[in-house]
Amino acid sequence: MSIKEFITTIPVNKVSIKSLLSFEKNSVNILLAVIIVAFLAMFAIGVGIYLMHGHHAYNVTREHPWGLLIAVYIFFVVSSTGLCIVGSLGDVFGFKDYMEISKRAIFGSIVTILAGFAVIAVEIGHPVTMMIYNVLTPGLTSAIWWMGTLYGLYLTFMIIEFVFLLKNNMKYARIAGITGLLVGLAAHSNLGGVFGFLNARTISNGVFYPTYFILTAFITGIFLAFIMYGFRYRLNFTQSGTKLLTNLAKIQGLLISILIFFVTWKMLTDIYGGMPNRSEVAIHILQSPTFWAEVILAMVIPLFIILKSGGRSVKAMFWASLSGMVGIFFMRYNLVHDTQLKPLQMMKLTEYQLAPTWVEYFPSSTEIMISLGGLGLCMFMYYIGTKLFNLDDGHALKEG
Amino acid sequence: MARYGMALDYKKCINCKACETACKEENGILLGADKHRIWVGVKEVEGEFPLLSIASQTFYPSQCQHCDAAPCQEVCPTNATYYDENGVVQVDPDKCILCSYCINACPYDARYVDDRTMTVDKCTFCSDTRLSRGEVTTACQNTCPTKVRIFGDLDDPNSEISQVLREREYFTLKSHLGTQPKLFYLI
Repeated sequence: MSIKEFITTIPVNKVSIKSLLSFEKNSVNILLAVIIVAFLAMFAIGVGIYLMHGHHAYNVTREHPWGLLIAVYIFFVVSSTGLCIVGSLGDVFGFKDYMEISKRAIFGSIVTILAGFAVIAVEIGHPVTMMIYNVLTPGLTSAIWWMGTLYGLYLTFMIIEFVFLLKNNMKYARIAGITGLLVGLAAHSNLGGVFGFLNARTISNGVFYPTYFILTAFITGIFLAFIMYGFRYRLNFTQSGTKLLTNLAKIQGLLISILIFFVTWKMLTDIYGGMPNRSEVAIHILQSPTFWAEVILAMVIPLFIILKSGGRSVKAMFWASLSGMVGIFFMRYNLVHDTQLKPLQMMKLTEYQLAPTWVEYFPSSTEIMISLGGLGLCMFMYYIGTKLFNLDDGHALKEG
Repeated sequence: MARYGMALDYKKCINCKACETACKEENGILLGADKHRIWVGVKEVEGEFPLLSIASQTFYPSQCQHCDAAPCQEVCPTNATYYDENGVVQVDPDKCILCSYCINACPYDARYVDDRTMTVDKCTFCSDTRLSRGEVTTACQNTCPTKVRIFGDLDDPNSEISQVLREREYFTLKSHLGTQPKLFYLI
């Protein structure tokens, strides 16, 4: 079979502008449509301002070179890895109960990483140069090189897996799936390594982030599975859907408990002994509202909902997952900001009249617009996907 | 082929900032507080009047340490940061993608963004303006009125810097991070 023939056999629905606009006109759908259009407009405006002013449109500085867009990029790629893990439960690991979400989750992993790439493209100063010299003079000791390269490969495998899932060819979907999952996990732990390798930043240096990233990716993937299913079924879940979500909620309960355990011990080991540049930073983090937003929204609320009902209250978990994703956003923002909190103490008076205790940062309006725009892009691509592809019939898949 | 380094007799520094000015002038560094390749760090006087610790007030001239194991070079995804033939840590602006990883990875806060090229810039030990012409000096060293800076080839046992480092005690900054800096502060 030629490539052209192969492509023509991929089951794709015909979509016109009219069919894109033909959705049930209830208040939630209209609100969502308005939000997506507004966010896309913000993306266009934000990118326009960036093209005119470059990095000056962002509030990043010499002391705080990574800002909101890096956090949002991480937010999207963590979401992608998480959805890949959730999608793999069925088609890679063969758990039948999870088979029906595979196609939707894998498609979600593709749109989230594309949104992440769209955001990082306007954060990296020279994305075209990056594509050229990533190949010509690769920095093999750089975690960013490995992360970027592996994520590129991961996207390729995710697309291949999705195509085979669409074609009900489970054999090849599984091969692409397992390869994509391994590459994705490698890429994602390298993203943790980007921070973990920073000897200069004691608060982030070490093994914590590469492992924590994988754990939080799985948690994010489950939150997103609830959100996608919640919207798909308008909270009137099918019997099989309820069973799937209940199982996912129980796994989520375990994962969030492990996360709380990890974060508690990270904080304790950071603070204990008063190690310079680490302990005072950790204490400062404990006093920041964004840390508690992360803890309450992504950990306490979802875990409370899960424990209260033993994971069976799937409708409540949908709302808890929305809270969880807001918390996950703060988790990413905190990771990036907290890494750079502590000035490098080279006693420069040319930059400051008084040496700052902490490096301050608040994103510019352009950064906020591009970030919301990334979310708009993600939702828009997902909506198009629901029209273009049949994302529902995973449970009917059979061995190819 | 040399291995250039700099020794700083920092207790002689009077914080006149002639070095900062000479660097900006010679290397065409943009104006602005956060656009600088070199700086003079100021340690404030400790204690309360009249029990002030005069010995505590010190000036620490500083810049890129041209580490032998530079974290900025290790983290660069495109090898835009490289060691030249003289062991000087350089940035190739054609390859720099402005991912800012090196700015975050440098423990010495020695890197910044040049707004003209929108790439990362840093001290080059005046490679373009002096070393390439065979002059073994730097603008900051040449202009210093109290001769704080001694610049030269660390591999040449007869160079002034090698002799000074044999004769005097010194310390390096943040060397516990394994960076092997080539700026030596003479005690």
